[in-house]
Amino acid sequence: MNAHVPTSVLAVFIAALITALATGLGALPFAFWKAVGTSAVAYANALASGLMLGASFGLVAEGSGVNGPATMGGAALGVLAIIGADRALRGVEARPGRERASGTRRMLLVMTVMTAHSFAEGVAVGVAFGGGARLAVAITLAIAIHNIPEGLAISATFRPRGASIAACALWSIVSSLPQPVMAVPAFLFVETFRGVLPWGLGFAAGAMVFMVLVELLPEAYEQARAPKVALLVSLTLVGMALAQRSL
Amino acid sequence: MSDPLLTALAYAAGAAAASALGALPFLRKRVLPPSWLGWASALAAGLMLGLAYTILVALPPNRAPALAGGAALGVLLVAAVARLSAAPSAPAEADAPAMGRLLLSGAVHAAHEGVAIGVATAVDLRFGAFMAIAIAVHNVPEAAVLVAGLRQRGVRLGEAAGLAVTANASQVALAAATLALTVPAPGLTPWMAGLAVGALIHLVMTELLPDSYHHAGRTSIALVAVAAMGAVVLARGGLP
Repeated sequence: MNAHVPTSVLAVFIAALITALATGLGALPFAFWKAVGTSAVAYANALASGLMLGASFGLVAEGSGVNGPATMGGAALGVLAIIGADRALRGVEARPGRERASGTRRMLLVMTVMTAHSFAEGVAVGVAFGGGARLAVAITLAIAIHNIPEGLAISATFRPRGASIAACALWSIVSSLPQPVMAVPAFLFVETFRGVLPWGLGFAAGAMVFMVLVELLPEAYEQARAPKVALLVSLTLVGMALAQRSL
Repeated sequence: MSDPLLTALAYAAGAAAASALGALPFLRKRVLPPSWLGWASALAAGLMLGLAYTILVALPPNRAPALAGGAALGVLLVAAVARLSAAPSAPAEADAPAMGRLLLSGAVHAAHEGVAIGVATAVDLRFGAFMAIAIAVHNVPEAAVLVAGLRQRGVRLGEAAGLAVTANASQVALAAATLALTVPAPGLTPWMAGLAVGALIHLVMTELLPDSYHHAGRTSIALVAVAAMGAVVLARGGLP
């Protein structure tokens, strides 16, 4: 392992920690309002969708520059990983007695769902660092912003059940802790075995695009005015994709 | 064919003609199941996102400011047209204005695809051929959705297929116009490429994806769209 790796590992950890801390920002609106409207969450998800799709364009371009078929193979694995996680979580949600879930169980369920998603996002941050600083900045930014509405969703469940703003922020951050935990080994893996970098970049892109298409976008369209959601997604997608090209 | 203008015209005409294939499923079924229409829209959406990606990476990074300007124009243009030509209020409305809006929506949609074919041909002829083939494939599910709407309004199958091809005539005109503009003024190429990218992405976000989520489950929609996107990127080899 060469001399630059310890510094890079620290940078990866700090970046992934920043994305996790950003989740805590989701509790902030509750300091000013008792409740946050669903349309606000929808617009936040639309913003995150555009950033994540734009960032995925960058991941695919970077990976395809090395090996196109491997990048697409990785993307397929990323999609399968999200489908697998969703299937497992659906099993948790469908467990008998779920409909009578107590407040605490409901809180645990939301935490479980959000935490499970964080694993793939952590991998995305880690492999992005393997693809260079430009890509790393873009993916870190996209995931950090994506985390804010996730924190909002957690806080919206915890706050009505008596949790303080600080507790809401803390639990939101806890749900994203798999990000720094997963980012470092993912980065070390692609650094050590450079041949797997396009697979890793593709995995991150596939997981993010699928997450956007299966969760964020349909929910945003349902909870807010579709033309506004579409405009926000389109402009942020184009902005993010082009920002990566010009950085 | 060495003349780029003729080449672009031929490519776009071939892509527009492929729309007629969208009528084929109706030979077996009078009405398509809603999930098929959702998957058709998702397929069209994924192909368009993949094409937008291929245009973005086809131009050198130093053209990003012009691409960004063009993309913003493309997004705003589609948003403005969508506001002006609001979708028919009743799904089975049979009056002429409703049919007109349906066809106008198809024509506007196709126009931006024509810009994409023209820009790709301006970048290089092989990219133009790739873009035309991908848009021809994209036109088939898109036309199936249009034919379904026309059939609901009592239009005969042959006539509906003809109208689907006619709606895509704007593709041919815009492909030729884009190439006629960009060949003498190459500085316009990133602007037109940006316009195509912005328009294609916004058409996906404002029409195709919301429509697809109405007709089928979100997991199947996401799978079809992501597979179509991946197929385009893979066919292009990721980078030009």
